[in-house]
Amino acid sequence: MKAFVAQSGKKAKKQLALSFLKSEALTGYFLISPALFLLLVLLAYPFFLALYISCSDRVLGEPGKFILLGNFFKLFRDTYFRQTVWNSFVYTLTTVSLKLVLGMALALLLNQDFPCRNIIRGALLLPWIVPTSLSVLTWLWMFDSLFSVINYILQSLGIISKKIPWLGDPFWAMVSVIIVNTWRGLPFFAVSILAGLMAIPKELYEAAEVDGALAVRKFWHVTLPLLQPVIAVVVLFSTIWTFADFQIVYILTHGGPLNATQIFATMAYDVALVAGRIGEGAAISLFLFPALLVVIILILRYLRQE
Amino acid sequence: MKKEEIKISSLDKGKGMSRRKFLALTASTTAALSFGTFLRSGLGATKVSLLTWPNTLSAMDDVLREQAREYSKIKGVEISIEFVSYNDLPTKTAAAVESGAGPDIVCLVGDGAHLHAKSLVDVSDVANTLAKELKGWTNIAKDVGMVGKTWRAIPWAICPQVINYRIDWLKELGYQKFPDTYEDMLTLAKKLKDKGHPVGFALGRALGDANQFHYPLLWAFGGAECKKDGKTVAINSPETAKAIDYRRELHKLGESDDVYAWDDAANNRAFMAEAISVTLNATSIYWAMKKNAPHLREVTDHALAPRGPAGRFSYSTPFSLGIFKFSKVQKEAKAFIKWLLEPKQYSAWMGVGEGMMAGLLNFYEDDPVWKKDPKFEASRLTPKYCRLPGYPGPPSRHAAEAMVKYVIVNMFARACKGMSTAETIKIAEAELKEIYGKA
Repeated sequence: MKAFVAQSGKKAKKQLALSFLKSEALTGYFLISPALFLLLVLLAYPFFLALYISCSDRVLGEPGKFILLGNFFKLFRDTYFRQTVWNSFVYTLTTVSLKLVLGMALALLLNQDFPCRNIIRGALLLPWIVPTSLSVLTWLWMFDSLFSVINYILQSLGIISKKIPWLGDPFWAMVSVIIVNTWRGLPFFAVSILAGLMAIPKELYEAAEVDGALAVRKFWHVTLPLLQPVIAVVVLFSTIWTFADFQIVYILTHGGPLNATQIFATMAYDVALVAGRIGEGAAISLFLFPALLVVIILILRYLRQE
Repeated sequence: MKKEEIKISSLDKGKGMSRRKFLALTASTTAALSFGTFLRSGLGATKVSLLTWPNTLSAMDDVLREQAREYSKIKGVEISIEFVSYNDLPTKTAAAVESGAGPDIVCLVGDGAHLHAKSLVDVSDVANTLAKELKGWTNIAKDVGMVGKTWRAIPWAICPQVINYRIDWLKELGYQKFPDTYEDMLTLAKKLKDKGHPVGFALGRALGDANQFHYPLLWAFGGAECKKDGKTVAINSPETAKAIDYRRELHKLGESDDVYAWDDAANNRAFMAEAISVTLNATSIYWAMKKNAPHLREVTDHALAPRGPAGRFSYSTPFSLGIFKFSKVQKEAKAFIKWLLEPKQYSAWMGVGEGMMAGLLNFYEDDPVWKKDPKFEASRLTPKYCRLPGYPGPPSRHAAEAMVKYVIVNMFARACKGMSTAETIKIAEAELKEIYGKA
């Protein structure tokens, strides 16, 4: 009897071990391990390396010392950098607001019935699909100080009498990069919001109509609340992308004139790769990381509640 | 899987080859082929790789490629050349320095030898041999290649920045040649603009053109960003103020506002479009006219950058060839660089450049290319007046940072936009102190 109990105990243990091995959790971990490995190698490693470099006074080709937050404190005092921070905020906040408002308008328009709707919806994506550097080079020509086609048209129509110094004046240079960024990012907003619009049940609008709601109130009380999650995600992504933008500014103005369009990425490039101070360059590009992290956490938490 | 089996079994029947035999044959063929490749690449020939940028004059690159092939034939050392765009070169170089892997030889732009000194092999032996054979190095060559007392790179060439001007428009005003001093240039610029032919010197983000005009202007009036020690910021001086006042006048009387927007290619376009009469540039405009505007070529000439109260200066971008410490073929790389700079090869290369590139060994001041066209004379003489940012101090990381941040150019640009001289100097001084204050 005793022997039997002992034997069944062993069996049970064995079974337990076996069932643990067979358990879904373990298989799950096993199956995601390749993906996890990729994430570690391709995302976590470079990220922590950048974090480490930003805390060192490293210059190209030399190891450098660990100086904790020294680079960041130095940046706080740097007037050149303060202007960069200001520019980045102006650039990002303006473009994201413009893209949101215009994207919403465009999405509402595209949600109507009209001929060739699908073709036009597809064509809308073009600015988003064309490689940025190529399309920005075209813009560069359109803003050219001598041959600007925009100035030519505006002058021919009698709207302006003097050429607009698109890339030559601090104010207009900022306007130029904002225009191009908005032009390029608009399709992403419009298409995402359009998808959100199409998912709103028609019955809600019918119910609102029965209650006597006009177009504005329908938009305010039905469309907007139901679009909120989509808008939150789109704004979040676009904010991050715009803060990290490089190509548009690099090609159009390279941060000039008089540093009026210098933003984080272009300044980090100049400091780290051309002047060789990679510690400081990494600090510049990671400067906004803590602030962005808070925004991301807040938005994601909000989305989960929704 | 099944399909494969069927295929192979049909092979079995048809040609009398078993699956095992088939696999063995395939494997052995592959092995033999790859062993052959390995032999050729690893043991047969030594490989030296060179990273450089595609020259505006593609003919120069063609000559370089041809010479590399020739070298492989004569010396049995295979040379591979990788071209990356001028703007990507610093990035690629930085990546090689950081990762410890990449090309054996790298073309360094400007003060690259100083920035990457710790990653570059000592090439003093090559530099000294060349100096002995070819009448010594020019002063600018020493500034470019020598870090302390060691040569870290072999100066390859500079791209002389000269005044490009319209002969016909000057003649209309009674000028036979371009004025020699900045003061006289101001008088001329005013007359030209009044006639509807403004002059134009980049005040925007033109890393080449804008810096190349404004550093020499500052030096010519006796100003400098730092003292000879390369550490003490010295921008706040009456000389700097004079240079700024001059620039403001030149802009007001002789230029249009377009210059604020100019990148490196803009003045070339404006000159070709006959929108400006004078600019500072390499001879690339003159060269491009050959194909696109021969009638303009007739009426375009070059002159040395003007003289100021403190003398004549130029900042023309230099190029040098360095060998990375991680290279396993340093000896072969040195030999190739030496060979490239020998008269037979170098003359051929510089010759097709038509004044675009000037050699930095004294011997090449008398190269036949300079006699091809009297309009190259200014380019021939420019290396003598050439200095690097940071002058009178040595080239340094600080000077490089000040340049990429356009501290000097922006100092002038703010004044042209209307800021007072004292105020714009104060801003530049604060920026320079921030940069030079770093370790």
